[in-house]
Amino acid sequence: MAGARRLTAPPGAYGDVAGDTDDSLLAVRAAEGDEDAFAVLVQRHGPALIRLATRLLGNRTEAEDAVQDGFISAWRALPEFHGRSSFGTWMYRIVTNRCLNVLRGRRHVASLELAGELPAAEHSASPARITEARDAVRELRDALDLLSAEQRACWVLRALDGRSYEFIADTVGISLGAVRARVFRARRCLTQALGAWR
Amino acid sequence: MTSDGPHVPHPARASSRIAPAAQAPAPAQASHASLVEAVARAVEDVPGVAFLKPGLAARLRSALSRPDPGTGRAPTSGVRLATGADGTGPWRVDVQVVALRRARSVDVARAVRATVERHLAARFPERPAPRVTVTVTGLV
Amino acid sequence: MTAHTDPPNDPSPQDDDEHLPCGRLLSRVWDAWEQQADDPHLRSCPHCRQAVHGLDQLGSAVLGLREEEAADAPATDAAVLTRRVMDVVRLELRPGRPLPLGEPGEDLWITEAVAARALRAAAETVGGVRAGSCRIVGPLGGGPAGDRAAGAVEIVLDVHTPADAFLPHLADRVRDRVRDTADRELGMAVAAVDIRITDRVDPPGGGKEGRTP
Repeated sequence: MAGARRLTAPPGAYGDVAGDTDDSLLAVRAAEGDEDAFAVLVQRHGPALIRLATRLLGNRTEAEDAVQDGFISAWRALPEFHGRSSFGTWMYRIVTNRCLNVLRGRRHVASLELAGELPAAEHSASPARITEARDAVRELRDALDLLSAEQRACWVLRALDGRSYEFIADTVGISLGAVRARVFRARRCLTQALGAWR
Repeated sequence: MTSDGPHVPHPARASSRIAPAAQAPAPAQASHASLVEAVARAVEDVPGVAFLKPGLAARLRSALSRPDPGTGRAPTSGVRLATGADGTGPWRVDVQVVALRRARSVDVARAVRATVERHLAARFPERPAPRVTVTVTGLV
Repeated sequence: MTAHTDPPNDPSPQDDDEHLPCGRLLSRVWDAWEQQADDPHLRSCPHCRQAVHGLDQLGSAVLGLREEEAADAPATDAAVLTRRVMDVVRLELRPGRPLPLGEPGEDLWITEAVAARALRAAAETVGGVRAGSCRIVGPLGGGPAGDRAAGAVEIVLDVHTPADAFLPHLADRVRDRVRDTADRELGMAVAAVDIRITDRVDPPGGGKEGRTP
């Protein structure tokens, strides 16, 4: 995603916008008030960003809201964007930070009253035949809720989204050392949680 | 220029502002809303005009995915009419339209202006010629 | 995607870290695992192997999570998201300034964003051209401040062109189309059209190599 030139044509381009128009051109047009160009960008980047947000938040509905809000704040900020990075990288950062804020807020509530209750509800509807592997996945999902917002974000970007430490540092806006420390702590916490299940 | 805020058409509010609470509203004032309405309908009939610029209210409705709450009246957003403080000066008319792409924008704008001028001249022959501003705010 | 290799004295996660009975730091062992370093000690030392086993377990849970994601995530309906976003965007449009149509002083206008869209579309009727920024400067020679006296505008349009196009001809054709559209479709007086070629792009499919979608 970072810096990649997009020449693929998504289905159903908006208005006059040719489907093979480069992201950088669309971002400039949108900055100049062309909402059809922006619609093409939303369509092009939306699915990957929802996948990212779902990984970060562990909840599809919240993820869709985060991505929607991220795009709206991007529309507002576009006139000052000036293409400093690729549009995709910029949106990745916006959505990650929005999810971080959601996680921070959630953390607060959880630690106040509902610690331990939050994770359960979502997975109660799993099929009757529960395999060991599926149990491990469920343990992992629950264990993710034990991490701090920053640990979770750094670990998800690293392990689930396959990003480099440099990319994560840049996206979250912290030092490389801090990213490494958070991924390490997340791994400790998660391996312990999985070990406890054994 | 860009904000719809000050002139979102709201029939109820507009008429209550203009018509005093008296039982028999002054004819000139009571007719303001219907005059705007008449001008709006005339503008919509101009060849090359797709529709009047949707007001904030209409766009909000679309955002909330609610159907138009059938007031039975097409919106008059996109048409503003004002006159001097004494009600005798020239009309100031501001029209914002979405035009058809296949028509030449300037020709559509001129036709809108001519239509508004004709309409007002017919209704208020004693008034000085109106000042009409037309802005094309969209092409479809 | 590839793991970064830190210099040995990079700040490392001190607190929480621990020395394994063999003397190695857990964080170092895991780093080596992540970088797939070939260290005989890691293969022979039971403590290190156990530490790495935890990460392997985590790794297979991650794979499982990804599989579940792929299986039960309904393919994102991009159209639904786009509609939701655009409903809000349309409440916050940026139409730009009004630009004069017709003769000076006619008091007929077109908003900047609408005119720019038509001019970009005109440029893109030239094969392979894709338009970006379209700034409309002016009107020039306006009256006193605050007077919306009309005059001709200047258009500055940035385009990407096919890599194999002969640029002078191409720029001329784009300029002609833009002028023509400003005149015949809009009726906007134009003093000058400045075409700036900001990138040259291999056409998708027509390219020599590499750039496949």
